[in-house]
Amino acid sequence: MTQTNRIDAGGRVDRSQTLEFTFNGQSYKGLKGDTLASALLANGVDIVNRSFKYSRARGIVAAGAEEPNAVVQLGAREETQVPNVRATQQALYKGLVARSTNGWPNVQRDVMSWVGRLGGGFMPPGFYYKTFMAPASMWMTYEKYIRKGAGLGRAPHESDPDIYDHMHHHCDVMVVGAGPAGLAAALSAARAGARVILCDEQEEMGGSLLDSRETLDGVSAVRWVEETVKELASLENVLLLPRTTANGYHDHNFVTLHERRTEHLADTASEAGLAGQARARLHRVRAGQVVLASGTHERPLVYANNDLPGNMLAGAVSTYIRRYAVVPGKKLVLSTSNDHAYRAALDWKEAGRQVVAIVDARANPDGDLVRQARDSGIRVITGSSVVEARGGQRVTGARVCAIDLERFVVTGKVEELECDTIASSGGYSPVVHLSSHTGTRPQWNEELLGFLPGEVKGMISAGGVAGHFGLDETLADGERAGRQAAQLTGFEDAQAITLPATRGLRDGKACALYQVPHEKTALRAPKQFVDLQNDVTAAGIELATREGFESIEHVKRYTALGFGTDQGKLGNINGMAIAARCLDRSIPDVGTTVFRPNYTPITFGAIVGRHCDELFDPKRYTALHQWHMENGAEFEDVGQWKRPWYFPRTVNGKKETMHEAVARECLAVREKVGILDASTLGKIDIQGPDAREFLGRVYTNKWAQLAPGRVRYGLMCKDDGMLMDDGTTSCLADNHFLMTTTTGGAAGVLEWLELWHQTEWPELQVYFNSVTDHWATMTVTGPDARKLLSELTDLDLDKESFKFMDWRDATVAEVPARIFRISFTGELAFEINVQANYALHVWKKLFEHGEKYDLTPYGTETMHVLRAEKGLIIVGQDTDGSVTPEDLGMQWAIGYDKPFPWIGKRALSRPDTLRGNRKQFVGLKPKDSSVVLEEGAQIVFDKEQSIPMAMKGHVTSSYYSPSLGHGFALAVVVEGRERMGQTVYLPMTDGTMHEAEIVSPVFIDPKGERQNV
Amino acid sequence: MSNVSAKQFDTVPAGNPAVESPLCWSYQQQKTANSANAGVVLREKALLGHVVLRGGAIVLDEAVRQVLGISLPAKPNTVERDEAGERSIQWISPDEWLVIVPGGEECALERSLRETLGDAHVSIVNVSGGQTVLTLAGDNAREVLMKTVSFDVHPHAFPVGKGVTTIFAKATVVLRRTSETEWELVVRRSFADYCYRWLLDASAEYGIDTQ
Repeated sequence: MTQTNRIDAGGRVDRSQTLEFTFNGQSYKGLKGDTLASALLANGVDIVNRSFKYSRARGIVAAGAEEPNAVVQLGAREETQVPNVRATQQALYKGLVARSTNGWPNVQRDVMSWVGRLGGGFMPPGFYYKTFMAPASMWMTYEKYIRKGAGLGRAPHESDPDIYDHMHHHCDVMVVGAGPAGLAAALSAARAGARVILCDEQEEMGGSLLDSRETLDGVSAVRWVEETVKELASLENVLLLPRTTANGYHDHNFVTLHERRTEHLADTASEAGLAGQARARLHRVRAGQVVLASGTHERPLVYANNDLPGNMLAGAVSTYIRRYAVVPGKKLVLSTSNDHAYRAALDWKEAGRQVVAIVDARANPDGDLVRQARDSGIRVITGSSVVEARGGQRVTGARVCAIDLERFVVTGKVEELECDTIASSGGYSPVVHLSSHTGTRPQWNEELLGFLPGEVKGMISAGGVAGHFGLDETLADGERAGRQAAQLTGFEDAQAITLPATRGLRDGKACALYQVPHEKTALRAPKQFVDLQNDVTAAGIELATREGFESIEHVKRYTALGFGTDQGKLGNINGMAIAARCLDRSIPDVGTTVFRPNYTPITFGAIVGRHCDELFDPKRYTALHQWHMENGAEFEDVGQWKRPWYFPRTVNGKKETMHEAVARECLAVREKVGILDASTLGKIDIQGPDAREFLGRVYTNKWAQLAPGRVRYGLMCKDDGMLMDDGTTSCLADNHFLMTTTTGGAAGVLEWLELWHQTEWPELQVYFNSVTDHWATMTVTGPDARKLLSELTDLDLDKESFKFMDWRDATVAEVPARIFRISFTGELAFEINVQANYALHVWKKLFEHGEKYDLTPYGTETMHVLRAEKGLIIVGQDTDGSVTPEDLGMQWAIGYDKPFPWIGKRALSRPDTLRGNRKQFVGLKPKDSSVVLEEGAQIVFDKEQSIPMAMKGHVTSSYYSPSLGHGFALAVVVEGRERMGQTVYLPMTDGTMHEAEIVSPVFIDPKGERQNV
Repeated sequence: MSNVSAKQFDTVPAGNPAVESPLCWSYQQQKTANSANAGVVLREKALLGHVVLRGGAIVLDEAVRQVLGISLPAKPNTVERDEAGERSIQWISPDEWLVIVPGGEECALERSLRETLGDAHVSIVNVSGGQTVLTLAGDNAREVLMKTVSFDVHPHAFPVGKGVTTIFAKATVVLRRTSETEWELVVRRSFADYCYRWLLDASAEYGIDTQ
C-alpha cells in the first residue's frame, strides 16, 4: 500500500523517517510525527472498527481524545497488549501493531452485523435487556456470545514487562492544556515567578495553533508556540508535561495526570532503549490554582448515516491536512452551522482536492471565512444541511436539502451531491469534563450554544472552555487567567505580558443545529447517530423519552449515551438537545449528566504504579528474621508482619509436614524448652504521674496496687463493653509502665490511648510512646527454661526471688535485658527484651547454650496450640467484637468497684450484656478423639432438628493436642458455662455430624502449677 | 537517679557483643551494583542514639540547652543541630521532639536529662533499636522523594533545616533536609527493608550508589 492520501508539502511530519506498522494484520507505512490515525488515513484505510451494538463499519471521525470509533488494541505481543487506545492519540512508532477492538472475524466482513440488521435494521434501546431476558438463568450464556461480538478491548493474559510509577507534585498554578489559552496562562504565571505545571495530552504542545490558519505577529502561529514552549522549558519554576492527560480533577485541587513516557516510542520501554524507565507515570498534583484551558470539542451534526466511514468532524479534517499532511478523501462536502468550520473546506481546496460544496444551515452567513470560501470559488449552499449520507463501506454521496430550523422539517427538494467525505460541524462544546469531576454542574450558555464549566473553588477556566472562541480573545483570556492564578497564589505583583497580534478574523454568528431533520421521522429515517461509540441514535433517545424516561440521567442509562471510555465527548450535547426537543423543554432545563474520571482510559499499571509484587504492601520483619530464614521457617502474615509459623525439620530426607512440625514443637515446650520470637507484640511506653490512673480507666481490671517489678494481665474494652485488646502491662517505676498489646492491635491501641487522653482526659499527666520496634522479645519456655537462661544471665532466677508475674533488669549474653516471668504457654517462661540491634546476638547465644537442652524454635502455630490448651484467648480469634469479658468468664479481671468508671463499664450494665442467654466461652472435647473440629463450625443442641437448625454457638479455635493425644477446641456457646458436660453437635457441610462435650476451656494444668515452678 | 518515678534502662552493653543495624539483612538480600554517575547516593547512618522527648517546650528547652548545648526547635517541622551536625533535635508534634545523637550517647543523655529535669512531667524514651537513619543525596534525590512522599519537597517548601513526619509509599517516615544536597530519612526498624527496597527501586532509573 502507498500513502495515497499524503500530500507532498506541509504538515509537522518528518518525511525522511518512514515507519512501518501493522493494522489488522496488514503492513502499512507512515511517517515520524504521525498518529496511528493519521497514518491509517494516509494509507486510505476507511474502516477501522465495527460498532459496539449494530456492528456497523466505522471510520476515523476525529483527531484527538474525542475519537469514538478508532479505539484499538495495541501491542505486538501478548504481554504488551493495551486495550482501548485511541488511534488519534497514539503516536506512530516503528513496528507498531494494532488491531480493531471490535469485529469478528474481521472488520471488513463482520458476522455480528446481522444483529444490526435484525428487524429491518432496528434495535431499540434496552434491546439486550428485553430480548435476552428469559429465561433469566440463560443470561450468562447469552452474555458470553454478545460480549464476544460486541466487546471493547481485552486485557493481556500475560504479565506486563513494563513498569509504571507515581510522582507527587505541588505547584502554584496547574495549567491543563497547552493550546493558545494554556500557553498564555503558563507564560504569564511563570514570568510572575509561580511554580507552574503545564500538561497537554498531545504529542506536542500548541493545541489548535498547530493546525491554525492564523498568524501571530505576522508569522505562522506555530512559530509563537515554539518560542513560548522554549521559554517555558528554560524556566526553573516550570514543569512541562507533554503526552500527559489530566485525567481526574478531585477535591482540594488535587489533579491526577497520566503521562505516557515510552509508549509513543515502542511497544515496551526496553525496546525504546529506555529499559528501567516507567512506561507511564501517574502524577499526583496538589495545585494552588488550576487554570483549566482544555479547549473545546467540535460537535458533529446528527444526520442519517452519519456514521459511515468518510463522515468526519470539520476540525479534524483541517488537523489531518495541516498537521499531518493527510487529506482523508478526494471530494468534500462540508455541512456546518458556523463560520469556523469553513477552514476545513479552505484547507482541503489548498491541498489540491475538490470541495464539492459547503452546506450552511444559516440563511445568510457572512463572516470573513465565508467570504474567503466564496472568493476562492467554492459553492456555498445556504439555509440547508446534509440530511443523509449515502454509501456502503464509505461515503459515496450526500443528500442535501433546505431545512427549517424552527419547525425542524426539511423544506425543499433533495439534491444529491457526489462526494467521498462529509465534514460536519454543529458548533463547539467546551471540554467541561474535568470541572465536572469535582461535582459542579456545567452551566448552559445560550449565546455560545454550549455548557460552560460550573464554579470550582481554586479553578479558573480560560480560552475555549470558558467560551472564548476567537484566537485573540482566547490568548487574552489565558493570559488573564494565568496572571490571576499567580496573584491568588502569592505573586501579587504579577504583570500582564505582551501577547502576539492576530489578524483579527471576524466570525459570523452560528446557529443552533444538533439533529438535522430528515424527510422521514427519526424512527423511519436511516439511523442518525448521536453517540457513535455506544451506538446511540436520535431515534433511540426519542423512543426513550416516549417510554417515559424524562430525566437525562435515566435517558443516559437506558440508551448508554455517554457511557464507557467515551464519556460523551461528541454525543452528550446533541443527545441532550434531542431529548430536550422530544420533551419540549429547553436544554438547560433537561440538564446534563455527570462526567466522571477518568477523562480518557488509563492503564491499571499506571494506577498501581510501583505498589506491586514485592512492594505491594510493606513486609515488616523482626530483628531475627535472617535467622528464621536460614533455619527454614515457614511464615505467616500477621498484619504486615512476617512471623515464623513453624520450623519444619528434615527427618530422614523428608521435610516435616506442618502437623508433624507443630506436634514436635509443642512437645518440646511441654517437655524440654522452646523459644519464640515474640518481637511483633505491640509495646507502649507509658510515663507520667497519672500513668497508673490512666491504666485504670482503659483496662477493666485494677492497677492501683501494682508495684514496681510486677506485671499484670489486662483486658481492654471498647466503649460498647466488647473486648478490643489484651496484654500484660509491667510497672517499671511508680510513674512508668510498659504495656504490651496484640501484634495486630498495636497501632490501634496507641491511637485509642491518645484519643481518650486528648479528647476526654487531657488533664491526666501521661505520655505514650511506641517502643515496639526498639525491643526484640524472645520467649524461652518449658521445664528447662530456667536452666538454660541461668547459663547466660546475671539474674538470680530462683522462684522465690523472681516469682511468676515479676520482671527484672538483667544482662543476657552480656546484653542489657529486661526479663519478664510471664507465660502464654502454661509452662515456666521467661520473656527476654533486648534492644533490637543486639537481638540476633542474644538469640544465637541462647541456641549455643540451648543445644544440650534441645532448645526448639517454635512458631505461631505452636504458640496457638499451647495457649489454647491453657484456655488463653486470642483477641480477634476467640473474640469478634461482640464478646464481653463476662462472656469469656474473666470476671476476675473486671474491677466493678474501681472509683473511676473505666471504658466499657457502663455498657456492661446494658440489658443486652446482662441477659442470661449470651454465648459463653467454653472448651469442646470431640467425642471421636481422631476429630479436629473445623474453626467456625456452627454448634447446635438438637441434632434431629430440621433445617434451619437453631445455631447456638461456634468453634473459635481448634487444634490437635500432642500432649492430650486428641483434638480439642475453644468455642462460644449459648449459656455454655451452665452446660458443662452436655453434648453438642456440629453439622458439617458434607452432611456429617460431629459430637462434642462441653468442658472447661483449660485443658492442661488447670491449677497453673507448671508455670509457677 | 534523681527521678525515681520513671525507670531508666541502659541498653548500651558494657562489653562488645555483636550488633546489627535494621538493614543488615536487607544488604545481604538486595545486592546492588553501584552505577557510575549515579543520580542517587544512598547511605545508612547506622546505630545512632534515638530518643523521643515529650513534655512542655519551656522546661525541655532549658534542659536540652544545658545537656546538649542546642535549643529545642520551637517552630513546627524544624530541626536544630549542633555545630558538628552530629546531634539534632527535631520538632515532631506540639509536645514531642526527636533527639538523635552519636550511638552510645543515648543512655547518658537520658540520665543527664532526667537529672536536670527532676520531677517535671516529661517522658524520655530511648528508641535507638527501633529506627535507623538513611541519607539520600545526588542529583536525582528529589525526584526519588517525589515518587515516594506526598509532602512537598521543592526547595521553596522544604528548605534546609526542615523536618516532617510524612507518608513514605505505604509506610511512614521522618524526613529532614540536612543540606542543599542531602536528605535524611528516619525509618522504623520493621519497615526498614521495605523502605530500602522502595528507594532502590525508585532510584533505579537514575542509577544508585549504595555503599
